[in-house]
Amino acid sequence: MGAALREWLLRAADDELIIGHRHSEWTGFGPDIESDVALSSIAQEEIGHARLFYEMVCRVDGAGDPDRLAFGRPPGEFRHAVLVERPNADWGTSLLRLFLYEHFDRARLEVAAQSTYRPLADLAGALRREEKYHLLFGEAWVRRLGAATEESGERMRAALAAVWPDAMDLVEGTEADALLAQSGALPQTPEALRRAWTEGVAVVLAESRLPVPEVAPAAEGLRGRRGQHTVDLDALLGEMTSVRRLDPQARW
Amino acid sequence: MGPARRLSALEQDVWAVFRQATKHDPHVYVGDVHASDPEMALLLAKEQYARRDPCVNLWVVRYSQIFATDYGDADMFRPATDRSFRFGGSHRDQQRVYREAGRRRDDEE
Repeated sequence: MGAALREWLLRAADDELIIGHRHSEWTGFGPDIESDVALSSIAQEEIGHARLFYEMVCRVDGAGDPDRLAFGRPPGEFRHAVLVERPNADWGTSLLRLFLYEHFDRARLEVAAQSTYRPLADLAGALRREEKYHLLFGEAWVRRLGAATEESGERMRAALAAVWPDAMDLVEGTEADALLAQSGALPQTPEALRRAWTEGVAVVLAESRLPVPEVAPAAEGLRGRRGQHTVDLDALLGEMTSVRRLDPQARW
Repeated sequence: MGPARRLSALEQDVWAVFRQATKHDPHVYVGDVHASDPEMALLLAKEQYARRDPCVNLWVVRYSQIFATDYGDADMFRPATDRSFRFGGSHRDQQRVYREAGRRRDDEE
């Protein structure tokens, strides 16, 4: 049970850290100062949430260092979905990814809030306050860009076709999920989570004139939840850990 | 000053942002945001102006909906004779009202 819970926590932590890092790459490059500040702020919050989940992993382990989990692991030990490690393209693609991810994160935190592992249930309750804004922000951009002009609609449809196969990786489960569901620690199966997520995003996408593409789930067969990642993650970790690698013993 | 124009989702207008610190405070002007519509203006205002300071409510108002006096007329606000009698500070009842309002706010915060 401890191992399954640890895996679940690591997934959440890695998702938040990696998408937070990608969002932070927009700082200084947003389409206007207000949106730049808002996305930078969201990036900070995601990385803050990652820290809380890493601390919980250490608690489950009975030892460890959250910074080492974030900056000291090889790519194969990361458990985030492939969707969040992809490089940013245009603003619309990043906000579409944010929207797809936040919808999933909301569904995930709803389950976590019912966990019998009390520290997780409490944490999920607190995080939902901030995540609510993230989802509103993403949804507002998707609705506007999807339906604003012919060009914006076309670009958003292309973005959706590009990110959709990776997005399915968000709701991929492993053996850990069955264990957690059985024990009642996290009372939901990956299938139910996938259904809730797909139905939720489909409504907004349809209203934004962005029909869900007919793509086989996880077309590339990548399984971020099993530690299978792309070279995009190698590049991201190279950059994200560069300062720490200068002096791994330094105190911050 | 013409009537408010309806913008497309990608055009932007300037909005004045008003922040309310507690339910019993007035909304106070804190700055501007650029946005295409009220919903986006509120979303952006939240991160620009309610990140650090306490906030329970935000207003946004499109600048074209605000009507203003002319700075050229600023001298009309300057009294020509002594009007200190208009400040009720020397009245005992006025002081009591200020004190109680301050206490009520302290209790609620």
